[in-house]
Amino acid sequence: MTAISTRDLAKTYKDVRAVDGVTIDLEPGRIYGLLGRNGAGKTTLMQLLTGQIFATKGAMTVFGENPVENAEILAQTCFIQESQKYPDTFRARDVLTVAASVYPNWDDSFAGRLVDDFRLPTKRLIKKLSRGQLSAIGIIIGLASRAPLTFFDEPYLGLDAVARQIFYDRLLSDFAEYPRTVVLSTHHIDEAANLLEHVVVLDEGRVLLDSDTEELRGHAIQISGRAADVDAFVANREVIAQERMGGLASATLIANEGDQDAAQRADLSVSPVSLQNLIVHLTTDAQRSTVTA
Amino acid sequence: MRIRPVVNLHTANRFTVIGQPLMIMSFSFAVILVVGIIANSVTSSASDLTDMYQGMRWNGAIFALLGPLMGFGIAAMTQYFPLATGLGLTRREFARGTALVFLGLAAIFTVVVTIGKVIEEATTGWGLHIRFFDVFYTGVGPAWQTLIQTFLVISAFMFVGAAATTMVNRWGQFSLWILLALFMLAGLCAVMGAILNDEFAAWLFSLLSMGWVPWMGVVLAIGIIGAVAWAILVRRAQAR
Repeated sequence: MTAISTRDLAKTYKDVRAVDGVTIDLEPGRIYGLLGRNGAGKTTLMQLLTGQIFATKGAMTVFGENPVENAEILAQTCFIQESQKYPDTFRARDVLTVAASVYPNWDDSFAGRLVDDFRLPTKRLIKKLSRGQLSAIGIIIGLASRAPLTFFDEPYLGLDAVARQIFYDRLLSDFAEYPRTVVLSTHHIDEAANLLEHVVVLDEGRVLLDSDTEELRGHAIQISGRAADVDAFVANREVIAQERMGGLASATLIANEGDQDAAQRADLSVSPVSLQNLIVHLTTDAQRSTVTA
Repeated sequence: MRIRPVVNLHTANRFTVIGQPLMIMSFSFAVILVVGIIANSVTSSASDLTDMYQGMRWNGAIFALLGPLMGFGIAAMTQYFPLATGLGLTRREFARGTALVFLGLAAIFTVVVTIGKVIEEATTGWGLHIRFFDVFYTGVGPAWQTLIQTFLVISAFMFVGAAATTMVNRWGQFSLWILLALFMLAGLCAVMGAILNDEFAAWLFSLLSMGWVPWMGVVLAIGIIGAVAWAILVRRAQAR
């Protein structure tokens, strides 16, 4: 049974197609990256999957059932969203207390350790917390809830590099001990790349890419060398981006079997393309049509 | 059905739900006490003080308590609903848990008001001929009437507040203005009808002088309409 399955799922706001015919299948027990530019439809898709908003058309299942108003399914999901609203009079400890009563797998001592890790002032009013401290509340709930399906939507806005690393470390170690399905939406793609087993890239509400991360790592290469050699090499190949500087040039291209060796034989230097750069290239307007993965 | 987490959500910060309304009510009560002390220092005429005692049956200072409670109905949808859905609670669970909290809070504050009313009555207005609890809006009859009336008024306030806010959630603020405009239009038609037709005017006036029981029926009907409208609207409300 899939953790998440959608068929032609769409959500339209007046004249905006926030999610436009999304069809994906996500297996349980893996960490997924839901990537894309701002406004790509990532948050809307997660809101649909957690029953917060209603689909305009299409079908979806979470653990085999429609999640909308489905208490049994929603009890197994945790959605940490960047724009989560909290009551004005709440302190961080109030949110944690409520969360503890909602999630059946909640680990109170783990939550306590995370509060210490992120140095979260639990007695302070939430409206007086910094952006990073607000993010910490979400991360603590997302991790300590140990929900079988956890969505993190830009969970670390405003967090410093140390805190972000703590998040990655705690997520990985807890995931190893308590495997579950995690969907992580982030713009810090390279930072999170090692966590992600599979990525779904959305662009203007549509699925642009749906692929295992390992597969993607060899999906594109960057070659550089003399401009004439680069031009000759990229002819009849699928080029994502190309730059020229005097007599030198570099190109990022979709790699086919043997391309790496061929480039080296053509006296070109070859380097891998980071996941972030690949996504940037793929979601740049001029390149969308080149995606084949 | 996860009702307890919804109740926890609303009552996690008890000061907000219990302490704050009581604090505002106490402040308002203190103002009325000061007014009473000043009035008693200005006149010692028994008839003046009796007139004041009778006149204060319409004292609306108790709305210092009722107002925040209506605000609680609004806050339930604007502040607590997004967090409830964010935590994976269903709308049905939220509605049931929140309705329970509304009724629980109405019961608590009804007891407070009724105790205040009994003391106020026993002491002829705290020895100052003033009224705060024993007023038209909470019932000037026996204590059991105040118990019922205050409970119904507070509950109706909260459910109507929640329903109005959910309507805004569903269809935007404009929908609320349209509804209010329709109510105003209905009121205007009633006044026009009363001016143009004496029989209708007499019937309308008889409504104002109807007894306590029919009035409670009206308040109950408003509360039920508010609760039902809210329960229906919240089923398709979306987190914003």
